[in-house]
Amino acid sequence: MVPAQYYLVLSAAVFCIGIFGLLTRRNALLFLMSVELMLNAANINLVAFSYYWGNVTGQTFGLFTMALAAAEVAVGIGIILVLYRNFDGVDVTNATTMRW
Amino acid sequence: MAGILDFAPAIVLLPFLSFLIALGAGRYMPKGGALAGIGATAGSFVLSIATFFAVSGGQTYNQHIYTWATGAGDAVSLDFGLLIDPLSSMMLVIVTLVAVLVHIFSLGYMNDEGETGLPRYYAGLGLFTASMLAFVVSSNLLMAFMFFELVGLCSYLLIGFWFRQQGPPSAAKKAFLVTRFGDYFFLIGVVAVFATFGSAAFAGPEAFPVLAEEALHGEHAVNTFLGMGEQAWFTVVGLLVLGGVVGKSAQFPLHTWLPDAMEGPTPVSALIHAATMVAAGVYLVARMYGFYALTPTTLGIIALVGGFTALFAATMGVVKKEIKQVLAYSTISQYGYMMLGLGVGGYVASTFHLLTHAFFKALLFLGAGAVIIAMHHNENMWDMGGLKEKMPVTYYAFLSGSLALAGIVPFAGFWSKDEILYEALNHGLGTDGGLGTVFLIAYAMGLIAVFFTGFYTFRMVFLTFHGEPRSETARDPHGFGWNVKFPLAVLGVLAAVTGLVNMAPVEDLTGIHLTFLHDWLDGGISSLTAHHYLEVLESGVGAGLHPAGIGSIAPGLVSLALALAGAGLAYRLYNVPEPVEHTDKLGSIKTVLYNNYYQDEYQVWIATGVVQPISRALDKFDQGIVDGVVNGVSSVSLFAGGRVKRIQTGVVSNYAALLTLGLTALLLGLGLLGGWFA
Amino acid sequence: MIIEALIAVTFLAALVTFVLPDRYAGKAAFALSLAPVVGSLYMWQQYDASGNALLGGNIAFETDVVWLQLGQYDIHWMVGVDGISMPLVVLTTILTTLAIVSAWTPISERQSQFFGLMLLMEANLLGVFTALDFFVWFIFWEAVLLPMYFLIGVWGGPRRKYAAIKFFVYTNIASLVMFIGFVSLVFGLGDSITSLRLPEIAQALQAGQLGSFAGLSAGALASVAFIAMFIGFAVKVPVAPLHTWLPDAHVEAPTPVSVMLAGVLLKMGTYALLRFNFTMLPETARAFALPIALLAVASVIYGALLALAQQDLKRIVAYSSVSSMGYVILGLIAYTTYGVGGATFQMVAHGLISGLMFMAVGVIYNTTHTRMVGDMSGIADRMPVTAGIFVAGAFGYMGLPLMAGFAAEFFIFKGAFESTVMEAMPLFTGAAMFGIVIVAGYLLFAMQRTLFGPFRFDGDYDITEAPFHDVAPLAVLLLLTIVLGVSPDIFFTMIQDAVTPILELGGAF
Repeated sequence: MVPAQYYLVLSAAVFCIGIFGLLTRRNALLFLMSVELMLNAANINLVAFSYYWGNVTGQTFGLFTMALAAAEVAVGIGIILVLYRNFDGVDVTNATTMRW
Repeated sequence: MAGILDFAPAIVLLPFLSFLIALGAGRYMPKGGALAGIGATAGSFVLSIATFFAVSGGQTYNQHIYTWATGAGDAVSLDFGLLIDPLSSMMLVIVTLVAVLVHIFSLGYMNDEGETGLPRYYAGLGLFTASMLAFVVSSNLLMAFMFFELVGLCSYLLIGFWFRQQGPPSAAKKAFLVTRFGDYFFLIGVVAVFATFGSAAFAGPEAFPVLAEEALHGEHAVNTFLGMGEQAWFTVVGLLVLGGVVGKSAQFPLHTWLPDAMEGPTPVSALIHAATMVAAGVYLVARMYGFYALTPTTLGIIALVGGFTALFAATMGVVKKEIKQVLAYSTISQYGYMMLGLGVGGYVASTFHLLTHAFFKALLFLGAGAVIIAMHHNENMWDMGGLKEKMPVTYYAFLSGSLALAGIVPFAGFWSKDEILYEALNHGLGTDGGLGTVFLIAYAMGLIAVFFTGFYTFRMVFLTFHGEPRSETARDPHGFGWNVKFPLAVLGVLAAVTGLVNMAPVEDLTGIHLTFLHDWLDGGISSLTAHHYLEVLESGVGAGLHPAGIGSIAPGLVSLALALAGAGLAYRLYNVPEPVEHTDKLGSIKTVLYNNYYQDEYQVWIATGVVQPISRALDKFDQGIVDGVVNGVSSVSLFAGGRVKRIQTGVVSNYAALLTLGLTALLLGLGLLGGWFA
Repeated sequence: MIIEALIAVTFLAALVTFVLPDRYAGKAAFALSLAPVVGSLYMWQQYDASGNALLGGNIAFETDVVWLQLGQYDIHWMVGVDGISMPLVVLTTILTTLAIVSAWTPISERQSQFFGLMLLMEANLLGVFTALDFFVWFIFWEAVLLPMYFLIGVWGGPRRKYAAIKFFVYTNIASLVMFIGFVSLVFGLGDSITSLRLPEIAQALQAGQLGSFAGLSAGALASVAFIAMFIGFAVKVPVAPLHTWLPDAHVEAPTPVSVMLAGVLLKMGTYALLRFNFTMLPETARAFALPIALLAVASVIYGALLALAQQDLKRIVAYSSVSSMGYVILGLIAYTTYGVGGATFQMVAHGLISGLMFMAVGVIYNTTHTRMVGDMSGIADRMPVTAGIFVAGAFGYMGLPLMAGFAAEFFIFKGAFESTVMEAMPLFTGAAMFGIVIVAGYLLFAMQRTLFGPFRFDGDYDITEAPFHDVAPLAVLLLLTIVLGVSPDIFFTMIQDAVTPILELGGAF
């Protein structure tokens, strides 16, 4: 059996990649992907601990998260489409009309 | 015993009913509701006469009528009650009689002159009469205060009757405000009486003058405040109540409203000055005389204020041009005499003067009203002259009143004024210490005022009625009907004969018993009788007055001589076909007198020169500092918010960065505190 | 159940009015608002309470059911009235109806929303005066602010936004301070209470259950809580120097809203002061007698002097409200039957008279479109009935005997003078009483300059007598004022009944 630490390292790595993407990219689509990575990092944790404790609750949560992520992507794509239409591009730093 | 006294509440309620009728239906009634008023006051008058006879039969009435506020537990209840004794029954007759006559006279003065707003006028008269009557029969100080205030309201409404002009509303405001200033002290006095004695009844088992007397005898304790002894505290309370009296009875320094109040219709002036509002103050002192008799300091102050006012107002009356102004100052002066009398222990003398003054002053005002009708509402005496032939009824009635006012024997004013001065001299000579000196000073001032009174009264008579007419209107005066002449005739007779009820000097001279008023005021409820007051005044716990026991004839002759001298001077100067103003001979004094010793000026200055700037400064303070702090707090938050909101860049990456940094900082912080890195 | 019915009916009336077309809204709101009037009068007629609701008295129309659980505390739906709240409930319903009628003329747009909000506010006010559980009470207390905010902010004068936000933020911060004070008391009581019902808390405090909390001893905690709650309620009253939101709110608010603001909303503050500070912490209140009496006198005199400096009729009445509410504080701190009873009576009396004055100013404003004293004179010539009622109301405000204001003021003065909380109370009373001279001063000056003298008006409007439905509410209020002044026992008996237990707490009398 693979020790739990391995999964955690994997999850942390995926999470950091996600954060890195979030902080460095300006493309909204890449943003969305980075967010997905971070979500999946959490998912890995859930599943790993579920496996570790021999309890299916975590797996269930993982499934739920996936469903939620799908929904979120749908909403996110919608937002990106609007972004594209209103700001002629998917660069998130252009859309600053929501500030003060 | 179901006697006539059970109908006493109707005396008050009838004029109140006429107020409601005139207010509600006056405009649909002939004469604008005057008839309802005349009927109601006449009814009250008849009932008052009946009451008077019942009281003379030895009955008195001191009944609880209505509980205004019920006190729960140990708290006292506040009641309305009716107190009818010789003093109040006499006052009832005076007030109702003058009220009836004023109502009748108003038919001539207001209705016949095509006045509008008559329902309002008669409603005001009705309410005025009702309030005054309720005040007169009040059985306790609180009820007295309440109707005292209502009297003030009515005076405001009636003085300001011609509200479309500039002057009357201002005069009405001044009358209410100045008397209100006095009433402020009165109200504290009422509250203090309740707090001290737990009761404010004038008579009966809980009468506060009696409780005060017993407390001074040490028979039981009362609450005193601020660490004062009983005598000192009673003096304070007495002076507080006196504040209201000084305001309403127009005593120095709160007399300034009264001459201005002449802006009102003349019948109203007659009612205010003769029988109601101004009389209310003096009546109140007489009503609770048993309390004042206990505090020598208060008595001394009353005597001084009275004597000074009598002299002070008389000097101002000397130079006035308008007939009503002369009468106004004579009113102030005469009420000064009454206060003087009360201060020196002359309870009967003052009450006597209240009675005679009510008749002759009502007469003089109504007479002046008749002159004013004749002169087409011109009040300047220098435009009159020679009216004697054209209006004989008015002239003889007015002359009767003037003789009474000047104090010429045997007219009413002589007997009463003389008795006051006699009491002042008698007690002043007999009483030891400072109080006796105070009485003598007050006496001296009263005596000098007699001369001025004689002078200004006859100056007025000669200027108005004698000599040659000095204007077109005086040559061809406006006529008037019975409704003017009838009240004048009635009062003219009364002014001549009322003095006969109490002729003390003649009694001294002849030995025949003639002091009927004295006997009258000796009857009734034992704690409210004249001889009880005298006992208190002369007892150790009271003021400690002592009569010197001098005869009453010599002082009477002195004051008569002075009055005649004043009248004679007026005769010399003004009873000529073409009188001229002699006031210029007075030099700069004239200016001072014309300006009423600048009393108005300094009071107006207090209002506009002191209080208004203070209130404006406070307004600036309030807007600038108090509200400034509030607005400052909001500005600071707005400014800070304006700066802090810059964090909100709108760039998603920045938010993400902040989030990450925040999370890292949190983890680090928790880690350091939690000891993960230890 | 009648209280629930009363509140529910008022809420329903508000909802119905919201959806009605504008042109029917005013009349419909009036008709619907008669229901709570009838309800409250019925309650008054059936009223059978005795004693103080917080101190184990017999509460009328009481409902007490567990509603929610909040940690260790049960939240109860507890409502009921006693002699202190009953007169205020009647005042609220009657004044709302009259204010609605007086709004017919001045409110010409978005009527259905305006009248709906008025009724909504009434429902919340009824809740404030009847709730006996802190949680329920606080919800209503805060909910009153919202309709008021919109009523000022939407239908107000030129600076309505400033006034509305100032009102809302100021009173809300005050509520927060008060909330902290109260909650610290609750924590100080610890396990000795199981719910937030006011009677339970008051009785626990009486039983000396207050422990230490947050490092404060019981006595210090009581002082801190007292001060926090006092500040919180003092803003609502308002007590000088926390009053500056009031003139702005009054000047900008439309007349009917001013009527509600002065007539009922200010009474929330004094009502809460009586219920919380003076009933729950009597010993602390006595210990603070000197500063509280000073604040009361300062409010009276300062408010009156400020009124003297104003040119806007509404500002005059607004500042004089500060002055009048100062009397209430003086009466409360006196801790005598007449003092506290008179203070409660003054809440009702001032509600009627200030409502009358604001309405009268409003009627003049409807015609002249100005409230500045200098812009007109001799209005009585053209509007005799309005002027007559104005004069009567002004004299009522000055404390003319046989009108409600005099009764209230006299009770307060009498109670304060004989109070035993301090040696110097007679001096404070005497100083506060000078307010009756100043109030006469500014009202007489204002009347002389606007109503009397030769007719003069600088505007383009035709000055004629106001329509019947403008004058009728004035007449009703005047009548009520006189009735209460002639027979104060109508309310005073039940008020004393509810007030007396408070005095016995600290051994007064």
